[in-house]
Formats: sequence, C-alpha cells, structure tokens
Amino acid sequence: MAAAAGAGAAAEMEKMSVEQVKAVKEQADMEVNILQDSLNNIRTATSRLEVASSALEDLSLRPKGKKLLVPLTASLYVPGTLDDADKVLVDVGTGYFIEKTTAEGKDYCDRKINLLRSNFDQLVEVAAKKKSIADEAAVILQAKLKHLAPST
Amino acid sequence: MSSSTVLRELQRDFEAKSNDLSKLQKDIAKNHQVRKKYTIQLGENELVLKELDILNEDANVYKLIGPVLVKQDLAEANANVRKRIEYILAELKRLDGNLQDLEEKQNSKKEAIFKLQERIQSLQAGKAKA
Repeated sequence: MAAAAGAGAAAEMEKMSVEQVKAVKEQADMEVNILQDSLNNIRTATSRLEVASSALEDLSLRPKGKKLLVPLTASLYVPGTLDDADKVLVDVGTGYFIEKTTAEGKDYCDRKINLLRSNFDQLVEVAAKKKSIADEAAVILQAKLKHLAPST
Repeated sequence: MSSSTVLRELQRDFEAKSNDLSKLQKDIAKNHQVRKKYTIQLGENELVLKELDILNEDANVYKLIGPVLVKQDLAEANANVRKRIEYILAELKRLDGNLQDLEEKQNSKKEAIFKLQERIQSLQAGKAKA
C-alpha cells in the first residue's frame, strides 16, 4: 500500500518542474525532521517512566524506618528515615497529583509506558512514509537536474 | 491622466496590498501556534480526567497551586478538569472560525494582488511601446 502511494507520488513529481520538486523535497525533509524530534521526545519520556517504575519497585522493597539521604538541592543531601513506603503521589498533569499505593503507582507507570509505546509505533510508520516521499523527491530532483544540464 | 501617475498609484496600491497580505499570513501563523498550544493542553486535561475517573471515591487528590500542594475533593477536581476541557474546546472552535475567515481574506487579497500585477505589467508594456 505504501509502495503504491509512493509510485503515485513519483508519477506526480515527474510532471512537476524542478522548482516544485525541490519545494516538495524540502517540505518532506522538514516534516521528517519534526517527526524524528517527536520520536526522540517519546523515547526520552518512555525511559524516564521506566526509571520511575523501577524506583517504585525498589522503594516497595525497603522497610519502614530505613535510613536514607534526601536531596534538598543538586549538591545538598540531608539524612532522613523512610516513613510510609506504601503511599506515593503521582503527577498526572495540569498540576494535579493523586495519592496512590505503590502497586497502583507502578500500574500507572506501566499504562503510560504502553500508551507511549503505541504512539511511538504509529509515529514510526508515519515517519517511514514521509521519509520514502522525501527520498523519491530527491531522486527525481537529481534526475531532472541531470536532464537539464547534461554533462558533456 | 498621465499613464505614469496611474502606474505609480497602482504600484502604491500593490505595496499596500502586499503589506496587508503579509500581515494576514502572520496572523494565520499565530493562529496555528495558539491552536497547537490549546490542542496540547486539551490532550493533557483529557489524560487527567481519565486518571480521575478510574479512582475510588476515597482516593486523595492534590492540586499544585504555586509552591503549595492543596488537598482537593475528587468531585471538585473532576468538575474543574471538565470545565477546563469545555473552555479549551470552545476556544479551539473560535480559533477555527477565525482561521477560516483569515484564509478567505488571504485568498481574496492574493487574487486582488495578482490582478493588480497584471494591470501594472500591461501598463508598463504599453509605456515601453510608446
């Protein structure tokens, strides 16, 4: 299906002038870049969620009253004791925090990770299609330029 | 009326219309930006609403107001998020209408400019021949 769309686009581009093909290629390149940025953002967010999930896992294993160091700033830690490791506050967005148990918190992280993974897969498909259009345009542009200025 | 004054007037008109067109295009770009921002906020709020919906009645919800975490009632939080979603949807609809209006104006400006260009070119060609 993607190949047929690509062939159709190629036929269209053959009929266009050099300027138009160049414009199409630049547009497609820009879109591919934007999509790559989005994919990177999703990957970063997914890895942060995975870190949060494993931190929760770790936290649930610690006994109450365990000594720990609490970061006040990036270079200042103060000693403290672990109080209740069963309740956690989850940032759900727009300034809202929900109190959950550790298990629910892990469940939240897993749900978000799955959502991000499916978004990532969808984007990868779209990006691949756009990349093939950009590549087609590049090839056709080359051919047209060669056609216009044949090397002696 | 001498043809050179007509030509100068047409060119001034052309400049004025071109400025109008570029202002319209800037407005359209701004509209897109604001739309993007609202769409992102809408998505975030819908996520929050989903999370609030699957909560038990007795779960604790807190809202971050400045540096303070304030305990909120679940029903109140629900109502707040829903109201915000409604507001964003209304804003998006208003922006859509705005955008359509701007695009129509842009197209008619482009047409007017094109016709002006034709007139200018034919006048200049006529002058050159004379």
